[in-house]
Amino acid sequence: MGRRFGPYGGAYVPETLVPALAELEAAWRAARADPAFRKEHARLARTLGGRPTPLHLAPRLSARAGGARIWLKREDLLHTGAHKFNNALGQGLLTVRMGKPRLIAETGAGQHGVATAMIGAALGLRTEVYMGEVDMARQRPNVERMQLLGAKVVPVRSGSRTLKDAINAALRDWIANVRTTHYLLGSAVGPHPFPSIVADFQSVIGKEIRRDALRAFGRLPELVVACVGGGSNAIGTFKPLVRSRVELLGVEAGGPRGAPWGAASLSRGRPGILHGAFTYVLQDREGQIAPTESVSAGLDYAGVGPEHAWLRDSGRVRYVAVHDDGALRAFRWLAEDEGILPALEPSHAIYAAVKEASRRSPDQNIVVTLSGRGDKDLEVVLGAARRRP
Amino acid sequence: MEQLADVLSSRRASGLPISVPYVMVDRRRRARLGALLRALRSSGATAVELGYPFSDPIADGPVLEAAADRALEHGTDWAELLRQIALAAPVLPTAVMTYANPVWRHGLERGIAGLARAGATGLIVPDLSLEEAGPWARECRRAGIALVLLAAPAASPERVARIARASSGFLYLVSRYGTTGAARPTASEELRPLVRAARQASPGLPVLLGFGVRDAESARRARESGADGVVVGSALEERLATGASVESVGRWFSQIARAPA
Repeated sequence: MGRRFGPYGGAYVPETLVPALAELEAAWRAARADPAFRKEHARLARTLGGRPTPLHLAPRLSARAGGARIWLKREDLLHTGAHKFNNALGQGLLTVRMGKPRLIAETGAGQHGVATAMIGAALGLRTEVYMGEVDMARQRPNVERMQLLGAKVVPVRSGSRTLKDAINAALRDWIANVRTTHYLLGSAVGPHPFPSIVADFQSVIGKEIRRDALRAFGRLPELVVACVGGGSNAIGTFKPLVRSRVELLGVEAGGPRGAPWGAASLSRGRPGILHGAFTYVLQDREGQIAPTESVSAGLDYAGVGPEHAWLRDSGRVRYVAVHDDGALRAFRWLAEDEGILPALEPSHAIYAAVKEASRRSPDQNIVVTLSGRGDKDLEVVLGAARRRP
Repeated sequence: MEQLADVLSSRRASGLPISVPYVMVDRRRRARLGALLRALRSSGATAVELGYPFSDPIADGPVLEAAADRALEHGTDWAELLRQIALAAPVLPTAVMTYANPVWRHGLERGIAGLARAGATGLIVPDLSLEEAGPWARECRRAGIALVLLAAPAASPERVARIARASSGFLYLVSRYGTTGAARPTASEELRPLVRAARQASPGLPVLLGFGVRDAESARRARESGADGVVVGSALEERLATGASVESVGRWFSQIARAPA
């Protein structure tokens, strides 16, 4: 595993963090090669997390699209309600292995924060989660969940007070406390080796899709779709399929219509250096990071995982942006057609999948990773409905 | 115009202490910059670091983060940085300290050449690790300016030695775990082996301690570790932000610059 994906990636970090990144990489390599670690990891994924998650045919949503069949990869059924569990479990076990007693994390939508708080409780690690004030207000239920799980939620009041600023705060904490603390970074972003570690722990999603597609319809799907903020559920979905012929589609948050940036780093950004990685970044002409905007806190981020940057440039994955209103419509489609409340993040992917399905023949299969459940978003969705009846 | 590397190394060779103030570039402070730097020079400053603001300064504590936010609100941009370098360089050897992305955005080659043309003779990038520094060092050499690398207490003496060999101008030794401006004192015993490793690897290269140097006492302790001098940022910015006069800042800085080892 290298430091770069094509030209992207690397580790642009203050020197204080370099030894900790090296220690993390060494611990991860040793753990991967250790059958006892792998066994314990697999056991907890099953008994604590609820893996494997099912591949569910969405017949009425497919009928709405009027074309290809749409299948949902049900990461929303995982413990704590999102794919974030996969990474939190893996890195939590690495933290124990490194002998560090304290976990810190950033969170946007709160899903990664809840997963980290949960694994902190389950493994007996002291846990603090940094969260932007704007996100704390719009994802209140998750703040309360984290607190009930014994984590301290630290409000971040700098910058745009969203995910980017929470990462800044967590990095500063890590710089000061690196000897006793592991930074459980929640997405496939940041300095090497984080993007590779997170992709590794999330790639169970794509492996299960591959296996269950063969079981359900005897071949791989024609198209696989996932939403991309930092891009952890997407890289986990895509990575095991990159060498196949399956068409891969990443869906970014376009934000409100008319917004200059949204949160679509791959569609509207340009290469730059943010949070330790060389990747696509939303930035102004001066290289200052742009203020992002999205209805979904989990996608509201100015950067993106460096492996996605390379998958974009190499043409292996196509990336599109879906606006807020599309995501809100898809939220309702899934609720009304299938009885499932999706998180607003994968609602972007659902929207794009329905559009794709409508252009394809009924013998094709599309798999969408439903990366999280929508309980946390009810206030945002109902608020949007009130504003625009 | 004097070169940062020459001035610092000749000062080190004559055994004199080195003191480098860090001043955030802010469009609204341009008019005062010349007077401030002349006062600092009279108070014993050897060179100056001009900080260029970045929206996401992860190595900085609250004081410099707030200063960067203000500077950006005031419309500070790259052109302003070049103007202020041109004002600073005739007064003191001038290094620019900023994060990787603003430099990258202006093109590594063009950006660094532009800094050099404006009069800067050093560049310091706190989020540039040794592993990523190669292309930056090449462009800096081509432009004739020093690329100052940072080392930190978490590093082994072997790593500090490698960083010292790759650094030019001086070695910026981060005095503690944490961001800029932290108030906890520096443990000189912990730093001494790192200073020694740097010396052995690169005998002529001055070693300056920064992050958490805020008064005569912490400057004295920093020099006890064997370092040739100190960088002072947050404590100076605190004074500028609360409206201290150029004269009083100069008086305060002279206590640091003249602190006995």
